[in-house]
Amino acid sequence: MSQFWLFHPRGPIAQAGFQSILVDVAAMMIIIGPTTLLLLWCIWRYRRSTSTAPYTPGWSHSLPVEIVSWGFPLAIVGFLSYYTYISTYAVDPFNPRLMAAGTSADADRAPIDVDVVSTDWQWLFIYPGRHIAASNELVVPVHTPVRFRLTSATVPNDLFIPQLVGEIDIMPGMLTKQALIANRPGTYEGIAADYSGPGFSWMQFKTHVVSRADFDRWVGTVAQSPLHLDQAAFDSFATPTINSSGKRIYFSDVDEGLFGRVIQNVMAGKAYPTPSLYTEKKASYQNGRRQPGSDAALSHSEPGMSN
Amino acid sequence: MVDLQGPWTPLLGRLTLQEIPFDSPIVFGAFAFAATLAVIIIGLLTYYRGWGILWRDWLTSVDHKRIGIMYLIVGGVLLFRGFIDAVMMRTQQVMAAGPASPGYLGAEHGYLPPYHYDQVYGSHGTIMLIFAATPILAGFMNYLLPLQIGARDMAFPYLNSVALWMTAVGAGLVMLSLFVGDFSQAGWVGLTPLTEMSYSPDVGVDYWAWALEIGSIGTTLGAVNIIATIIKMRAPGMTWFRLPLFTWTALTTNVIGLTAFPVLGVALGLLLLDRYIGTHFFTTGFGGNFMLYTDLFWIWGHPEVYFIILPAWGMMSEIIPTFSEKPLFGYTVMVAATLSIGCISWTVWLHHFFTMGAGPIVNVFYSISTMLVSIPTGVKVFNWAFTMFRGRLTFTTPMLWAVSAIFMQLIGGLTGMMLAIPAINYMTHNTVFVIAHFHCVAMVTIFASVAGITFWFPKATGFKLDEASGQLVFWLFMAGTFTVFTAMFGLGFDGMPRRLAYIPYASWRPLMIVEEFGILLYCGSIAAFIYQIVVSVRNRAHNLVDVDAWGTTRSLEWMTHSPVPAYNFAVIPHVNARDEWAWRRDNGLADMLPEHYEDIEVPLNTPVPMFLGIATAGFGFAMVWRIWWLAAVSLAAVFIIIIIRSFGGTTGTVIPADAVRRTEQASRRKRRQNADNVLGDGVMAFAVKPRA
Repeated sequence: MSQFWLFHPRGPIAQAGFQSILVDVAAMMIIIGPTTLLLLWCIWRYRRSTSTAPYTPGWSHSLPVEIVSWGFPLAIVGFLSYYTYISTYAVDPFNPRLMAAGTSADADRAPIDVDVVSTDWQWLFIYPGRHIAASNELVVPVHTPVRFRLTSATVPNDLFIPQLVGEIDIMPGMLTKQALIANRPGTYEGIAADYSGPGFSWMQFKTHVVSRADFDRWVGTVAQSPLHLDQAAFDSFATPTINSSGKRIYFSDVDEGLFGRVIQNVMAGKAYPTPSLYTEKKASYQNGRRQPGSDAALSHSEPGMSN
Repeated sequence: MVDLQGPWTPLLGRLTLQEIPFDSPIVFGAFAFAATLAVIIIGLLTYYRGWGILWRDWLTSVDHKRIGIMYLIVGGVLLFRGFIDAVMMRTQQVMAAGPASPGYLGAEHGYLPPYHYDQVYGSHGTIMLIFAATPILAGFMNYLLPLQIGARDMAFPYLNSVALWMTAVGAGLVMLSLFVGDFSQAGWVGLTPLTEMSYSPDVGVDYWAWALEIGSIGTTLGAVNIIATIIKMRAPGMTWFRLPLFTWTALTTNVIGLTAFPVLGVALGLLLLDRYIGTHFFTTGFGGNFMLYTDLFWIWGHPEVYFIILPAWGMMSEIIPTFSEKPLFGYTVMVAATLSIGCISWTVWLHHFFTMGAGPIVNVFYSISTMLVSIPTGVKVFNWAFTMFRGRLTFTTPMLWAVSAIFMQLIGGLTGMMLAIPAINYMTHNTVFVIAHFHCVAMVTIFASVAGITFWFPKATGFKLDEASGQLVFWLFMAGTFTVFTAMFGLGFDGMPRRLAYIPYASWRPLMIVEEFGILLYCGSIAAFIYQIVVSVRNRAHNLVDVDAWGTTRSLEWMTHSPVPAYNFAVIPHVNARDEWAWRRDNGLADMLPEHYEDIEVPLNTPVPMFLGIATAGFGFAMVWRIWWLAAVSLAAVFIIIIIRSFGGTTGTVIPADAVRRTEQASRRKRRQNADNVLGDGVMAFAVKPRA
């Protein structure tokens, strides 16, 4: 059954989003509830078959009613306007107070940075300073602010981890930012939310929230990967690929300037065009599911970690 | 020029035999269905010798009523196609839920490979908004406006026909893309840079862009016509504050249409320049900025939302008073609310991309401007409620649909106010929560349109639709709506993204099954609707109506015969009150006859708009496939036809006073014969006593 992830937030930003839903629905029900009852009552009371109901065929104007019917929505919208101001700042990743809020005692840890690149149709999470990268898998330590810089090598997408953080657009040739703090260890689903082509439906990634020690161990594992990530390896990785097997790849020795160069290359006109294999016929998907040769070049790595 | 993937020949452009997907059983099935339908229609037309009637009374007609009905038919056919798309999408998603789900027909999961599924959802959105809802509402406005303001036709009858043909050509191109080539994979909004050559190398995006471009010409021309008609063609005494509310909403909606659709035309034009001559307006590199397209698209796209909802509110404001037997509550306020919604519609477009990473101040500004819309909308809901308050409500099918539309409005409003808050929007943007929200709002238009069709059907045909089967249609549709969209809101709270060809989590499957069950209810409703039409036509002798089909109607269109004669009103009425017809009925003036009749000038039929349509269709098809010679020939033909027409002689003809009198008297004789029937049905509030 559905888990209704939005109702089970595991971090302050998702928590603020959930809280906003509750406040907004409560405020709106103040007006929609009585209106619904009024409508239902009118339908029942004044149906033609009830001969006892009063009938005033000329009554079509009343100043008090009109004052209420403008004033009531105006008051609610007034309150919600104030609330939208408060809540928007509450989830703004550039809000300095945000990264301290909602965290437990050990939240004063130094934040970690993750650079995110979306390709057709995979995720690449680069950990700058640690010289490692992982595809289609995000691992972050618990109670630690995580700061994202995001860009796309091809078309726009959205990064979305329903239980941790709301959507942020990822745009080719541009940089957007996002941030999260995870309050509980566990595995959370990460979703590509903005349609990006035929492989979009297979663009999920697991988000593992782990203890600091496990995170360090994981970094160590990835750092031993035989695959290095330079521009050539990235171009190979970014070749349009439908990742229908949920494959993860670990890279060590990641080129430090790679993220910036992806943006610059896109601005200079670099594209990873969708091959006609994926598009030329309506039923040719199965043959063109994976790029020939890409499997051999990139080995499948196991995460080797426990939560 | 740009580099093309695949072959190109001077004679046929990119068109090859391989572009016709004979090998796809789904497309082939659709083709077989369409071909069978075409053969049946052609056979029936030939058997009943209908070709002459089709040519004289319909294809070459400039009569606003026939054009209105043709708009409704185009919209209805496309609505059916869009519905089939929806059935395919829901079925694919329920079949393709979870990694273990099996695949058929070449798909890894479900029965549609992703590239095919993407085209289905793209065409569903494009068709439903641009080629179903918009023509259906244009049909209502065409049919009703001149009647409601006491005019004989639109201000520009010939332009009206041209607008219809442009819309039909756009719709035709979308339908053609099903059988020849592809449709756009990039959604109805045309997500740039996915629509650029790098990511959509095939003709799909070209079909989508040219269909919208040509269709939007039709909508713009229609808007010019409707605005001019309302301003200039009102009957004597029809002051602004006596206009029926539907006319007010039509005016507002077409001001939106006139100002918004050119923006779409420009946005698509720039995109087509990118695709045809290799400019870089919306590419990611070389200085292009795809967010510019997003802005331009939604500067049109959000007003378009109100373009679609306002006439629906107008129809509800006509139907609810009729079956409450009271005037509309707070008429002046309703007009003010309509106009203010029209104004606010221009200030909210950024809420379609709250997640682009703009700062909080930008998002808060658009959040508040979005929420402002809910104030006049709330006022409308209150006024409908107070129209029913102390009324005498009769729940005929139109009233059922109209009142239920208010409830859909409440759900759409509640969820809209959630999406208007950026903190909530970040959690639900691009998820099916948004889909469920705007389908609830679109349901207001659908409910109001079905209400409108049932309500005005007797005015157009002289007989009512069958009531019992109409109620069945309503309850099945209502149940389907409730089932599908409750489940979809639930999936939205799971964070399920829109546009998924494959559902990655098996845990979402139960709610998908619920949605599929709702779709079955919808199918039942469509079947019941077809049954309703058949029964109504078969039993029409029992459902004949007089001028005032429902007995409690209020506005001017109910003063003239059902069906309405070509000249609308034998003598133009003088308007003395808001709700003129109700006023006349209440004051015993309902059966007044004019002293004498005069000659009536009506515009002459002309095939020119159809020829323009054919040439434009040729141009659109040629541009899609890059057949340059055909494009040049077609475009030249368009200009030559326009030039020849401008030298044309007579464009009008005269219906002599004698003929008018004969028609009026014959209609009164017929009415006498039907009187028992009509009175027996309890729908006529007065007895007709024709004068000798």
